[in-house]
Amino acid sequence: MSDGRPSPTAGSGQIVVSGLTKVYGNVRAVDNLSFVVEPGRVTGFLGPNGAGKTTTLRMLLNLVTPTAGTATINGRRYADLTDPVRHVGAVLEASGAHKGRTGINHLRVICAAAGLPRQRADEVLELVGLTPAAKRRFKGYSLGMKQRLGIAVAMLGDPQVLILDEPANGLDPEGIRWMRGFLKGLAAQGRTVLVSSHLLSEMQLLADDVVIVAAGRLVRQGPVDQVIGSMTHGVRVRVRTPQPDELVAALAGHNARVHRAEDGALLVDGVEAPVVGRAALAAKIELHELVTERPDLEGVFLELTAGKAAIR
Amino acid sequence: MRLVRAELLKIRTTSTWWIFALITLPLWGVTLFFNYVSSQFLVDPVEVGTLDPQQEAQLQAAADPLNIASNLYTNGQFLGVMIVMLLGIIVVTSEFFHQTATTTFLATPHRTAVILSKLVAAAVLGLIFWLGTTVLNLIVTPPIMAGFDLGAQLDRGAVWQAIALNGLAYLLWAIFGVGFGVLIRSQIGATVTGILLYFAGYIGAGIFLTQLSLKFGDWINNLQLLVPSLASQLMTTGTDLPGNPPRWAGAVVMVGYAVVAGAIGTLITRRRDIT
Repeated sequence: MSDGRPSPTAGSGQIVVSGLTKVYGNVRAVDNLSFVVEPGRVTGFLGPNGAGKTTTLRMLLNLVTPTAGTATINGRRYADLTDPVRHVGAVLEASGAHKGRTGINHLRVICAAAGLPRQRADEVLELVGLTPAAKRRFKGYSLGMKQRLGIAVAMLGDPQVLILDEPANGLDPEGIRWMRGFLKGLAAQGRTVLVSSHLLSEMQLLADDVVIVAAGRLVRQGPVDQVIGSMTHGVRVRVRTPQPDELVAALAGHNARVHRAEDGALLVDGVEAPVVGRAALAAKIELHELVTERPDLEGVFLELTAGKAAIR
Repeated sequence: MRLVRAELLKIRTTSTWWIFALITLPLWGVTLFFNYVSSQFLVDPVEVGTLDPQQEAQLQAAADPLNIASNLYTNGQFLGVMIVMLLGIIVVTSEFFHQTATTTFLATPHRTAVILSKLVAAAVLGLIFWLGTTVLNLIVTPPIMAGFDLGAQLDRGAVWQAIALNGLAYLLWAIFGVGFGVLIRSQIGATVTGILLYFAGYIGAGIFLTQLSLKFGDWINNLQLLVPSLASQLMTTGTDLPGNPPRWAGAVVMVGYAVVAGAIGTLITRRRDIT
């Protein structure tokens, strides 16, 4: 069970969301959302607050009933999986433990309910590095320890599919690095890892694929590099010079679009850095800085979700 | 079955059950004191003025050693079943209070099975509380009866019937509590409402029905059967008291309430979004 490979009983490990919709009153929290999450990769599920990420994950896990559409794991609805804990491990934001119960007992209760052997509780505590706090009550746990206990719960059934809602919340830098290594390791074993987050710099380090939603709808899906590469302006060059007006004039013939940044630098779109350098040299313009800025996930995300009100 | 074990483990791994047991103990002592005083009065009635024939008959029936014994062997029920009801409420509401409902329903997406196992676990807990108070009653009652120059009455079937029906009352109140906890998910809201309804039902309905019966006739008094706290008390009298509904009717009413509370609770939980 703990050789690191998903159980042989596991299915494809694919998550398929199809036409998923949830309406609360007159708010369409999730609106005809469709995407596929593949095994063997970490998929980041991104969106501004209120985009419907948590509602989507809860519909996937049979906690919230969809208004329309389906969500399946291994081709079956969560409620139709036999022993779901052995197929899917989930860490949701509002999944706590009884404050007066010890960490180890919290895990043992779930073992009992899921029909798992009792010693799995000790094994997963070891796995997330919580063994020293096993007999401490939950109310004495730090936020980071609570997150680790949540991951321990998810790993109890050695599942093929992992679903995590904002797992990095409340973790210190060391904890975040641990989480990144842990989740990448699980994906490398061939498991499916779906992680929702709004920590975009972290997601760029962690995710292979991203699914971006805003206002309940799908905005973009694909491998991180492709999604970033798909953005319109592509490469941007940042230049600093004491003669900005002359440089603007020198670039006029090169099909470049130039903006002035607030700090006095020039931002040049449409041409590569060597073109800017050569134009400056030819016009004998002094340069203090010449940097190529590649768009990152954060920039792409903000551009894609701009104007889609988070609070509806 | 493994779900029931999980539910019992949940109860065992928190301090609620033994805190409630500690609360139950002094409450049991208080009711014992009152029952002792009223038993003394029944054994040796001082002159209470003129009674109408029916009250006279009721008093005589209540003074039957069998009924005095039944009352003492089931001592502690009045507040004991309330404690058990509160435990039933907490078995459900703590899942929402501590946000463990998500984890519970992830491990078992079949919500009916979860609620059924909670009903069973709460019933088991109710029976344990019944067992505890019954053991105490079996220890203290024979010397009290001897003090009245009466036998222990433990050779009478009716006494054991009352003890058994008392167990049923504990079990049903626990189930009732679970159903109530599902209806009102807020832990504080559910416990406070439960306590208020318990006492209001007991005192308020008693007064209300007595007034009505003065106006419309004695049959109204039989309606007290519909008040859960009165119905469960009726179950533990040793013999049928004149002018009161039969004991089995109290049991039927309580079973009815428990089934309705459990069924409504299960239906609601099946449909509700867990957020």
